[in-house]
Amino acid sequence: MNPALAAHFFRHEYGRLVAMMVRRAGAAHLEVVEDAVQAALLAAVETWPRSGIPESPAAWLHRVARNELASELRRRARRGDLDAERALASEERAVEAPQVPLAGDVRDDLLRMLFVCCDDAIPVEAQLVLALKTLCGFDVREIAERLFMTEANTYKRLTRARERRRRAPVALADPSTEELASRLPGVRAIVYTVFTEGHLSSCSDDAIRRELCDEAVRLGEILAEHPIAATPETFALLALMHLHRARMGARLDASGGLVLLEDQDRSRWDQASIQVGLSWLARSASGSSFSRYHAEAGVAAEHCLAPSFSATRWDRVVSCYELLHATAPSPLHTLNRALAVAEWRGPEEGLAVLEGLEPPSWLEGSYQWAAVLSDLHRRAGHRDVATRYRDAAIAAAPSDTIRAALARRLG
Amino acid sequence: MPKFLCLQRSLSNAAGPSERPSPAQMQAMYAKFDEWRQTFRDNIVDLGGRLGAGRVAVADPAPDGPLVEVKELVGGYMIVSASDLEEAVRIARQCPGLVRPGSGVEVIEIHAPPG
Repeated sequence: MNPALAAHFFRHEYGRLVAMMVRRAGAAHLEVVEDAVQAALLAAVETWPRSGIPESPAAWLHRVARNELASELRRRARRGDLDAERALASEERAVEAPQVPLAGDVRDDLLRMLFVCCDDAIPVEAQLVLALKTLCGFDVREIAERLFMTEANTYKRLTRARERRRRAPVALADPSTEELASRLPGVRAIVYTVFTEGHLSSCSDDAIRRELCDEAVRLGEILAEHPIAATPETFALLALMHLHRARMGARLDASGGLVLLEDQDRSRWDQASIQVGLSWLARSASGSSFSRYHAEAGVAAEHCLAPSFSATRWDRVVSCYELLHATAPSPLHTLNRALAVAEWRGPEEGLAVLEGLEPPSWLEGSYQWAAVLSDLHRRAGHRDVATRYRDAAIAAAPSDTIRAALARRLG
Repeated sequence: MPKFLCLQRSLSNAAGPSERPSPAQMQAMYAKFDEWRQTFRDNIVDLGGRLGAGRVAVADPAPDGPLVEVKELVGGYMIVSASDLEEAVRIARQCPGLVRPGSGVEVIEIHAPPG
């Protein structure tokens, strides 16, 4: 009997095993550990169809990966590599310990691995690549596809991140509880980035985008389950991810075109997911901290709760954007606020929000900026200006999907 | 039903070392192989395996010239039953990963002693 493996079993076991073994061997041996885990998975692919899936597939993989790692470390130790010798000793001590790790330990290992990835000495893009590789089990080609980067670029970032891990002092590999707490904001930022990569990506493959969002939620839940990381900000981040993910199914039409919030079929929103999001939001309201995640989750919750676009509580959306701007200033938030104000008080008021705002060049040249201005001017009756901005928006659209949505919307 | 020995042949001048599959690809490989195994479970006599280290035992004195080790030509084996060679080839050909650039399968009938 060969029961089917759980979805993403190999990818998630990869992350779990790497985290577990890196903790023992030290982050300096990240690459050796990854090779050992890769070898164990390959052995499983070759053996399991013949032998059947073992009773505990996770323990089987762990045993094979550990043997692979030990023999490679032994080889290196024989060549006089003192680090490898130390790692080997630590590995051998672990072998004498109980074979089946406790659930709490696994959680702890994954959390620590997440912190190892989110080292602010590594550029954020490289942190992102490292997290997707080690924790989510994507390979370089898959990461490049998901982040819209070339494989060469992805590989370069990964190498840089690993290089830094090799040179980092041993203590960094196993940070203390206080150090973990101080690096928590960076860790949340990476989880958030993984989510936005999936949610906002112009990649047209819905499955790929959803998969990244699911990974971010999984990492967020690892944070939320851990005493160190279970804080209101983490809960708000989870609320925001669930509330966005609940609506993903309605964002694309049958031919893969982008459907604007206004036109979405709200019956296709996932109510169960919205409830989960709202309960995280309720948990996030404890304590005195208010983060950008709170503000963004607030906006998302207003949309989820509104029976229709026109019945949205725009005043509340506006105040969430004001709070968001106060916690994480960005002209993009002002742009969003202008849209909400226009729905609440009319297009002229919306335009007034943008008056005097000098957008940075990245925003001024973006399709978002031109699209909002075109929309507001059209509704205010300024036809010529509206047409000019519409053309600019369509010219700046990064993908056909977005171009088509703009052409539809901006008439 | 006659039995057939299927040998995975590493074809010479194969394109470099094959790329390492990602965990997601490995899971897909596993699922495909498992599906193949289910489909032909009545035909699979022995799923065999990959060949490892070996040694040739010869009579003294050893014959002249180098002995080509089978392992250099054959990556792995399995045994299937089929009504004829055509069917056996069809089964082997559908086995995921067996026929691809750099690797093929040779199917040979095993003559069982009569009776």
